[in-house]
Amino acid sequence: MNSFAEINEKLIESTIEIFTGMVMMEISVAGEQLEKLGTLKKSITGMVGLAGTHKGLLAVHFPQPVALAVTSNFLGMEVEEINDDVQDAIGEIANMLGGNLKTILSDRGKDIQLSLPSTIFGDEYAFSSQAEVDQIILTFQAAAGSFTVEVELER
Amino acid sequence: MELEKYLVDATMEVFASMIFIDIAAEPSAGGPIPEIEPNLSSLIGLAGDLKGILAIHCPSAVALGITTAMLGMEVTELGEDAKDAIGEIVNMLAGCLKVSLAAKDKKIELAIPSTVVGKAIRTSGLSGATRVMVPFSSPLGRFGVELRFIFS
Repeated sequence: MNSFAEINEKLIESTIEIFTGMVMMEISVAGEQLEKLGTLKKSITGMVGLAGTHKGLLAVHFPQPVALAVTSNFLGMEVEEINDDVQDAIGEIANMLGGNLKTILSDRGKDIQLSLPSTIFGDEYAFSSQAEVDQIILTFQAAAGSFTVEVELER
Repeated sequence: MELEKYLVDATMEVFASMIFIDIAAEPSAGGPIPEIEPNLSSLIGLAGDLKGILAIHCPSAVALGITTAMLGMEVTELGEDAKDAIGEIVNMLAGCLKVSLAAKDKKIELAIPSTVVGKAIRTSGLSGATRVMVPFSSPLGRFGVELRFIFS
């Protein structure tokens, strides 16, 4: 198990890698880590659970315009509203980030399993986990706007 | 596999032992899945032989009523208490499902519960997954228990 600072560092690297390699979108870390995620407005969240030696979840929260830009890039087709394609794309991004997180947490990701990804969206919502967790919330900046990646691991 | 039955059994058991509110599963007529408009949804990831996500969807009145019954004190807003209570319920439902599946030699592990509170929230899974949604009626109103899954 790596220290939390190392996990943080590797999570940033792997997020940038997925966005440059798979979504074909340049992103960079924006600002300091957040302590708390506020209410999300007109957003979509992709989430995947982690079970096994590490229990927790990874969530990625996109404001809707950013989600549309990400999906358009990822699928190579224009999308103009939050439809099934967008939900699948955002779920798949959470899944890829979760896959990388597995290998960050445990050697080659053995002993950790991912759940099915899920998406949540709405005009206004708050997202939180119900467990004693260590939390990382990172903000990334893309041309279309910023988004956050959140990791919660049970202590 | 009788996943819908497992969901109904798990929900009945948790409500009978923890919340003491009479609930009934609405019979599935084979028609379109009835939608519940939730103000609070708690979700938990499932991994292993079955990969999925289990969720409970509650309108405000149901979430507040369940929390009040569980904590034994009047809860009037969808705050930390309600998130904790409904998050705990989805955790227990997943625990019951794990036991039912283990009896069929399917091993699953649980992630941690999370809760979404908001207006007009919608949740969905991957389009390839199977979806089972069971609506329940209660004196507080209707709520839904949903499982989206694939067998890995």
